[in-house]
Amino acid sequence: MEYAIETLFLTKVFSDWWGRNRVVAVDGLNLKVRTNEVFGLLGPNGSGKTTTLKVLLGLLHPTKGRSLVLGGDATDPQINRKIGFLPEESYLYRYLTARETLDFYGRLFKLPPKVRKLRIEALLDMVGLKAVANRTVGTFSKGMARRIGLAQALINDPDLLILDEPTTGLDPIGTRQIKDLIIELAGRGKTILLCSHLLADVEDVCDRIAILYGGKIQTEGAVDDLLRHSDKTEITTGRLNAQAIEKIKRVLADEHAECMIDSPKTKLETFFIDIVAEAQREAMPTSGAVSKTGLSEFLSAKSDEQSRREAILDQLVSNKPSGEKTADTRTQQVRAQPTQAPSTDEDLLRKLTEETGSAEPKHVSQLAQDKPEPVKPDRAAENVLDELTGRSGPDKSQKPDIQQEENNA
Amino acid sequence: MRSIWAVARNTIKQALRLKIAAVFIVLLLVLLPVMGLKMTGDGTLKGHLQAFVSYSLSLTALLLSLLTIFAATYTLTGDVKDKQVYTILTKPIRRYEFVMGKFLGIVIIDAGLLLLFSAIIYGITISLPTFKKADSKELAQVRNEFFTARTSLKPEKPDVSSDVDSAYNKLKDSGELPAGVDEHPVARRNYKKELAQRISQRKRAAAVGEELVWQFDNVRPEDPNQDLFVRFKYNVAVNPPDMEVYSRWFIGDDRQIQTTGIIETPIYTVERKDFVGTFHEIEIPADAVASDGYLMLAFQNVPLNNTVVFFPSEDGLELLYKADTFTANFSRAVLLIFIRLVFLAALALFAGSFLSFPVAILLCLAVFAMANMSGFINESFDSLGNNISRVYYYSFKPLIGLLPRFDQPGVSKYLVLARMFSWSQVAKLGTSTLLLKALPLAILSLIIFSYREIAKVIV
Repeated sequence: MEYAIETLFLTKVFSDWWGRNRVVAVDGLNLKVRTNEVFGLLGPNGSGKTTTLKVLLGLLHPTKGRSLVLGGDATDPQINRKIGFLPEESYLYRYLTARETLDFYGRLFKLPPKVRKLRIEALLDMVGLKAVANRTVGTFSKGMARRIGLAQALINDPDLLILDEPTTGLDPIGTRQIKDLIIELAGRGKTILLCSHLLADVEDVCDRIAILYGGKIQTEGAVDDLLRHSDKTEITTGRLNAQAIEKIKRVLADEHAECMIDSPKTKLETFFIDIVAEAQREAMPTSGAVSKTGLSEFLSAKSDEQSRREAILDQLVSNKPSGEKTADTRTQQVRAQPTQAPSTDEDLLRKLTEETGSAEPKHVSQLAQDKPEPVKPDRAAENVLDELTGRSGPDKSQKPDIQQEENNA
Repeated sequence: MRSIWAVARNTIKQALRLKIAAVFIVLLLVLLPVMGLKMTGDGTLKGHLQAFVSYSLSLTALLLSLLTIFAATYTLTGDVKDKQVYTILTKPIRRYEFVMGKFLGIVIIDAGLLLLFSAIIYGITISLPTFKKADSKELAQVRNEFFTARTSLKPEKPDVSSDVDSAYNKLKDSGELPAGVDEHPVARRNYKKELAQRISQRKRAAAVGEELVWQFDNVRPEDPNQDLFVRFKYNVAVNPPDMEVYSRWFIGDDRQIQTTGIIETPIYTVERKDFVGTFHEIEIPADAVASDGYLMLAFQNVPLNNTVVFFPSEDGLELLYKADTFTANFSRAVLLIFIRLVFLAALALFAGSFLSFPVAILLCLAVFAMANMSGFINESFDSLGNNISRVYYYSFKPLIGLLPRFDQPGVSKYLVLARMFSWSQVAKLGTSTLLLKALPLAILSLIIFSYREIAKVIV
């Protein structure tokens, strides 16, 4: 199964009370999310992100087209037992306590009582709500409810995690935790579809993104490719004295390059987390959520079948053609201190271009064209990349190959 | 099944946390004992018991019915409106399992609450005689006429159709029929109906000195040492000055006199003086019944009365004897309430499967109200049916036939009259209410909810 999620010309039109078509929420969407990738679905409010998810999950019926989730219909219990879903708001029963809520969802998965109990405790611990596990969800703040929502999405140790605006209402630590969690889960071979308009979150965790507007994909591709300024170079180093700076400026002047030299600022996120971490170290009392790090045991505990599956996934990951990174390096990237030196742009760029040159067909133009046939997202991404790097347009001679490959797919 | 059970458990928690549930439960817990103390009926112990059982069971049935409607409607429409279904239906549970879980939850609550409140009512009822320090006469009366379940035998309605036809032809031949009656089939039918009523009433009337005889074939009291009861009411053509009528009754096996002349089973003669227009009971030892279950009742209009005496056709006369215990009868009455609650749960889930909360509630309450006066509705439409027969026959009648009939019988009717409410009656009512009415609704609700677009937005 190459794609965890695949939609074919998916269209959803909402009609008014008289049955007249009024709003085209999703318009001929061809979305492909590969197995074991973190895919971000971006777009402004009302661009059709949530509608797409609802159609994928069978909560809405498509007007036209169809969708496949994990190779089947998401309403089939055999399929949806492998899916975790966090809706845009945590729609939970207000009268159930946090523990009862998870117990209820665990029962829906027919988890044996022992496993259920272990997982509930592990998840409560993971989302930092163990201390308030016996309070009803109705008394929770939005962020705390969000954490329970996330825990319920993970109770079945899903292969595919669909998250709709996972970080809304969360404090920066919670946001950061979710981001770390997503990266770790991806490292364990899970597929994650993330729906958000909080661009910073998406940028930090997603392998690939699609930007939706008016129910159509406007652009799609690997995040790194889409965002790289190939005409700029950033150098990060330790503290330099004025002499050294002058020297560098001279060197650059010889190269006819303009430069800006500044001391980098700490990101507010990092600063905030440091402050709260300090308070937690001093064990100050709180009635809210407590931040924890790391993943629950059961999400990593592997059954035989699971490890076999993951072995296959690992293989797939290592064979991946483009600049996919493993979760560990990603985690470092997110957690990177400003003083740490990231790998240089040139390195990455070289690697990318080399690999694209050899393994992958060039590209298919997708931007601003209403092409009805499914388009390989990666190639679209490369197209964007090419536009950014100022290379030539689509190479027509590559087209038969693409068709061929699509047939194979 | 396990996920159905998970939903059911959650539904129970949800319903019990509804304010209306709390209010109703507290109300019943307070009201039932108060009613036990304060209801006096006609002042006798029997009246007190009858009033209490009747009102407390009806109140319990009413409040639980309303609770069922509210809880069952809310549990489905609320989950859709507050979108908890988004997280539930994306789990490995089929939608029909979800609705079945809701149904199971509501039925369990109903069963639990009904069991609780009927136990309270039962407890109060059987301890009332002790509590009221009743004397032995009153105790004997309630033992015979309340704390029992008596089977009722009514005389078969005599077939008067041949009499009607001959009377009709006679009138026709002599030209005494009202104008136009013979030409119109509807008018003819109505006129014959009238004649039949007149003739059968004549058969239940005794002129001064005359005798009326009824024969029962299948009288089977459990125990020959118990008593039989002849319950009767009569009306008169001319009211006597003190509104009382003298009567002589012969009760026993009259065949012995006609055949052998040897009296083996006793024949009882009873002379009485009773008020006109109210019910009275004659108590007779059960040994009057012949071994093959035959019993004759004869009423003699004593010449002291100066009027024709007649027995109303519906409830003028019946023979009662003990067939079961009060406890068993009470349990079956409670079971009848439960059957109706199950129907209401199915109805409410059906409404909730495609309507919003207010509309669903309105629909359920309307059906509930109509079910509670189904007798009236059926009769009105039947009489209307004579005039708009075809339209009515194909449109209204099937719809009205779908209505359950909650007033037929009323929940406490059998208990108040200490009348046997048999298992076969329970089975019959259960089949018609559950299989023919609740089950189709339940299946419909499963289908509708399964194919419904849950997250649908109308713009």
